[in-house]
Amino acid sequence: MAVAWIGNRETLVEHAVAHAAALLGSSRCPVFTFDTDVHGTRAVIALAERVGAAYDHVSGAALARDTALITDKGAMTIAPGEARRRADMVVIVGDVPETYRGFLTDLAESAPDLSEKNAREFFLVGPSRAMPSLLNGAKVTRLSAGKEGLSAALAALRAQCAGRKVSTPVSKFDDFAAALAGAKFPVFLFSGQSSDALALEMLQGLVADLNRKKRASSLHLPASESGWGGTLASVWMTGFAARTGFGRGFPEFDPWRFDIKRMIAEGEADLHLRVSSGKSGLTPKGKGVPLIVLAKTQKPVAGAVVTIAIGEAGVDHDAVVYSARTGTLRSTVASAPSALPSAAEIIRSISVRVGPEAGWPC
Amino acid sequence: MLTRISGGEIIDPANHRAGKGDLWIEDDRIVEAPEGGVADKVIDATGCIVMAGAIDIHSHIGGGNVNTARLLLPEQHAAHLPRPAATPLSNAGWSTFETGCLYAKMGFTTVVEPAMSPGAALHTHLELADIPIIDKATLAILGNDDFLLSMIRDNASPAMIEDYVAWTIGATRALGIKVINAGAAAAFKEDVRTFSFDDVVPSYGVSSRKIVKTLQAAVDRLGVPHPLHVHCNNLGVAGAADTAAETISAAEGLPLHLAHLQFYSYGTEGKRKFSSAAARLAELVNGTPEVTIDIGQVMFGQTVTISSDVLRQFSARGTASPKKTVIHDGDGNGGGVVPYNYRNNFYGSMQWAIGLELFLLITDPWRVFFTTDHPNGAPFTTYPALFELLMSRAAREAAAAELPKAALSLSTLSSIEREYSFEEIAIMTRAAPAKLLGLSDRGHLGAGAIADVAIYRRGHDIAKMLGAAAFVFKNGDLVVKDGQIIHYRWGRALRLNPPPDKAMVRRLENYHQQRYGLSLDWFTFPDSAIAREEPFREVPCRS
Repeated sequence: MAVAWIGNRETLVEHAVAHAAALLGSSRCPVFTFDTDVHGTRAVIALAERVGAAYDHVSGAALARDTALITDKGAMTIAPGEARRRADMVVIVGDVPETYRGFLTDLAESAPDLSEKNAREFFLVGPSRAMPSLLNGAKVTRLSAGKEGLSAALAALRAQCAGRKVSTPVSKFDDFAAALAGAKFPVFLFSGQSSDALALEMLQGLVADLNRKKRASSLHLPASESGWGGTLASVWMTGFAARTGFGRGFPEFDPWRFDIKRMIAEGEADLHLRVSSGKSGLTPKGKGVPLIVLAKTQKPVAGAVVTIAIGEAGVDHDAVVYSARTGTLRSTVASAPSALPSAAEIIRSISVRVGPEAGWPC
Repeated sequence: MLTRISGGEIIDPANHRAGKGDLWIEDDRIVEAPEGGVADKVIDATGCIVMAGAIDIHSHIGGGNVNTARLLLPEQHAAHLPRPAATPLSNAGWSTFETGCLYAKMGFTTVVEPAMSPGAALHTHLELADIPIIDKATLAILGNDDFLLSMIRDNASPAMIEDYVAWTIGATRALGIKVINAGAAAAFKEDVRTFSFDDVVPSYGVSSRKIVKTLQAAVDRLGVPHPLHVHCNNLGVAGAADTAAETISAAEGLPLHLAHLQFYSYGTEGKRKFSSAAARLAELVNGTPEVTIDIGQVMFGQTVTISSDVLRQFSARGTASPKKTVIHDGDGNGGGVVPYNYRNNFYGSMQWAIGLELFLLITDPWRVFFTTDHPNGAPFTTYPALFELLMSRAAREAAAAELPKAALSLSTLSSIEREYSFEEIAIMTRAAPAKLLGLSDRGHLGAGAIADVAIYRRGHDIAKMLGAAAFVFKNGDLVVKDGQIIHYRWGRALRLNPPPDKAMVRRLENYHQQRYGLSLDWFTFPDSAIAREEPFREVPCRS
């Protein structure tokens, strides 16, 4: 099976690696996007430093909202296991990414064993489309502020909880207030996937208000698990989250400037390296800069100058990934081990061609 | 490879060696001077002090809460200016990579991350594995977790509790156990807002004292070299000296280590009801030989407090500077991140003076340890300045002259004449930490020890001298010359490996299935997950 291509021509992996390294070495403004496990991400960042690239996750826009909540405001959060065991009131805020369907179902089907009530009530703040069929028939009370958006609904809810008058109160507030009064540990589920910065800030304001008189917290369900794993690795390696660039020889974090999608669209980049063993890796090259792809594929990605096949983390090879079920990193064993190389292996090979192996930090 | 470090002043209190002489290294070990041996490399240490590599027993250098602090404060490390990129990611402010380089430049070769959440052990070890040059170790946190509290409530046998503690140490690759505000995080989840040593966690009916005593006994019986590492209740509260005194008294003949005692040495005298109780606690420590402490010295300036004492951090939210915090309810302790600026006002000056009082009034350098509780009292990069304060009364007086007299009048600092000698510094930062942690292969310069050696060029400026070592060897590799990193290498994490009890593993598997809906392997990991060659080095338990 062919595993590397230069353009549409099959080639040996070492030739493809050499060509990719040559392109990266001569690029004036390379940009990287990734969707891989922690070790793949570490390698992406190490290569970015070596060639002066900027990097972002493929779901960068939503993750940037998750990141901005912490970098700009802070938060009160709870571990998912503790939420499962203690939350006697669950408030879903906005659309929760589809990937968490299993977790929501588990919440609906389990009882909080560390709570006196041993049962939980569910509420939803947000659009009706977010009404989770996910909860296996469990009753969900929807709170909304008419045609107002999520931020306005949360603002109204916060104001009403504080006893203030509002122009557009949320529906079913009395039900919410009664449940809140009886709850020992309400938990609000949120994600940057569907909530803008104002909504996330308002939610944290509400949680902080509640904690003046009782306990409450919020459960962060990141827009992308691989993205949040990448964020954690980026933070410990550089001090900064994704959307960091090494163009000036040291890491700079700027969520606008290093929005890779924007950089490509506005012609700021001259080379794009995409590392993704998921579906996003196979997207054909769009307008703009030359594309190098590391993806799980049996054929070259349309338009790419170099394509190198890699294995999928956790499927073809063991991996370390972020899990929203545990709220931290976990080790996974390959479910269908194969000879396909990992992203980290290929990136290391490229890096050695760009510069000396000594000092490679991964 | 045979190396001779020639003509230096060797200070090696563990081996009662002090004076000019040579030190020989063969590969990664220190050796006796070989008869007729010819060195492949000679390091001229004339005019230098030669000590073992330093060991920091309590510095928050990696793990979930540390990383959250980085994420919370990009503006703090964005200020880093570009510097020569001699090593990978060496100019990434407050990164794992910078941590290893900065420690090595000061001659530190082993650092303990003292607060690893067991559930986040993989994350912690991945970060530690990205800290270059130095060796690392961790203390796993217990004492607020439902599994342990339930066992204590249900009168589980000591053997069963030891099995759980042993499993935790083994599964998380820890070097010891730490308890942080025992029971308080669990109580906080039930809306308890203050928690003292004899208070009881509501749903469990278990007191903080009972938790500490249970873990202290289990750690001792398992032969874990490092005593139970205790972060007491009531950190930072005026009057917390009473809590610390109660905890010291509760040692009752068994080893116990109290972390960052400075943060408890607060009395209630004076018009602000905040005064130094350092003299009282120092006297108590001096008279309690089974107790060791580290200081948690405060130095002035911006820092961030990172603690798994979630109740304390929640209470401190209002002091945040800048005004943003993260408070996290974890499966056990959780934690909080609160940025803070120590100003040289009354309170900051009092804390500064109290730490120094403790350093200087506790008489046995084998039982007092050099820490700022990085970054809680100050970043570890302030160590050189702190060494100078300990070694020079004149430096203390000069610093104190800039501080409010109202604060210093409530402390005994100005009356203390003591100045630490290099031998005492070598005990406090080398020999004693190695002994406390059970690391017989380091902290000294005897034959057979790992060749971790720090060489400092003598000078009048103590901070300059100890802040940038002339030479540093790590495992026999010359890694620092003239205060600059010249060789990049990867250290290991030091760990104990007590065998797991099969019945306990089954019990934990059932527990995780029932309580979390997940199998135990979601919370454990193989060594290969770290993706480095030999990421761990095993340390034996006491037999």
